[in-house]
Amino acid sequence: MCEANVYIDRGAGEELLMEKVDRIIPGEENNIFMESIFGERRVVKARIREMELVHHRIILEEVKEATGVRELEIWLEPDTDHGHFHEGEEVSLKLLKGYNMKADPTAGLQDIKAFVVSEGDKREVHLHEHDESKNIILGQETEGLIQVYVNEEDKLYTKLIVEIGHHHHHGLEPLGLPLEIVPSNYSHARMGENYEIQVLKDGEPLTGAEVRATYSGTQNRDYPHHLTTDSEGKTRLYLTARGNYLFTVKHDGITSTFTLMKSF
Amino acid sequence: MCKNMPPLELAIQFHGHICPGLLIGVRAAEFAQKHLDISQDYDEELLAVVETDSCGVDAIQAILGCTFGKGNLIFNDYGKNVYTIASRDKNQAVRIAQKYGATSFRESERFRELNRKQVLSEEEAAEKENLIGVLFEKIMTMPLEDLFTWEDVELKMPGKAQIHATRQCAVCGEGVMETRTRQTETGILCIPCYNKLGGEA
Repeated sequence: MCEANVYIDRGAGEELLMEKVDRIIPGEENNIFMESIFGERRVVKARIREMELVHHRIILEEVKEATGVRELEIWLEPDTDHGHFHEGEEVSLKLLKGYNMKADPTAGLQDIKAFVVSEGDKREVHLHEHDESKNIILGQETEGLIQVYVNEEDKLYTKLIVEIGHHHHHGLEPLGLPLEIVPSNYSHARMGENYEIQVLKDGEPLTGAEVRATYSGTQNRDYPHHLTTDSEGKTRLYLTARGNYLFTVKHDGITSTFTLMKSF
Repeated sequence: MCKNMPPLELAIQFHGHICPGLLIGVRAAEFAQKHLDISQDYDEELLAVVETDSCGVDAIQAILGCTFGKGNLIFNDYGKNVYTIASRDKNQAVRIAQKYGATSFRESERFRELNRKQVLSEEEAAEKENLIGVLFEKIMTMPLEDLFTWEDVELKMPGKAQIHATRQCAVCGEGVMETRTRQTETGILCIPCYNKLGGEA
């Protein structure tokens, strides 16, 4: 046998996955790497069920994770432990990639653009390499509200609102992202409060969208909260955890997150 | 640290974690603040008489400032979730008692079961975390009338805590508050040394 066609059974019979495969390497966590004689490469979550060497067939069986396929998202975390920065304090944010607020240090970040929006002005900012994360350092900003967002390959978006000083601001303006989560009333919130967000798709409320929510330090493997937007694209969550929250929405191939910095 | 930390955060920081018992204390303390129109104690303007030594008392200490160290927290070991809060300035006191069965939720039983376990699996740890979330929302949003009964009471306020002179124990050499000494033939003793000598030194 020189090469074989690889088939996969996803639960509804075999289907051709890749032709003329000449290299297969089973890896950790049910990952199977395969490469064809044409140079095509692919990694699937599966186990090898059968190898029919005479017929040049390899049959895989898909391994489904209990929580479904996890696609990575990006998010921003502030380098402060109490929900806002003080005037004169260096504003530093970490850009992380992973799932459910658990960073995956092996996940690469490519073609990233970061922007700061303050009082209607938008400027691109540089990302600094820092250990296993990329950091956005804004320096000592004056009091007020700053919105920061990052975009990776126009597929992954994340946004965070930086509060400098002790303020609560109403009616934050959307940034105009293709898919965006906007807080309805407050930029920041405390435990024991209902927090309402709105999902906008190209600036319009997105109805019936699934919004997942989690918080830093959760012991849940998957998102602990699953919400659905109403006719105004809004949904709300009663905040019961101490850490910062992350809201995530996925639609039309775009995943957009919003980090809620909890305040006290 | 920021000033004006909200009461809930004060209580959690003081107690170290979130649990249903602490949250009941938070509700009681916040109710007392409203009912008596009082703010956090600075120097014994308030007095708390608590009838339990469970988690909720930490919320009383952290939020109301009635603390063991200041001497304006009196503990009666009755095993009851009852808190009497008094204001010296207003000459007013309220007795707040948790209603029997008020927090007997279905989730409470499972939470206690997991809480008793020494080691939790990853799934159990996540389950416990989620149960705390559910119980948090239930306790913090339930109407006060469903959680407590309360009544205004007359409370004879004790005098403010006194500072007494410190004397030296003749046996161990350590300092001891004058009012807690025992005068013996050996000299002035602290209570532990007095007891070690059979109370007849």
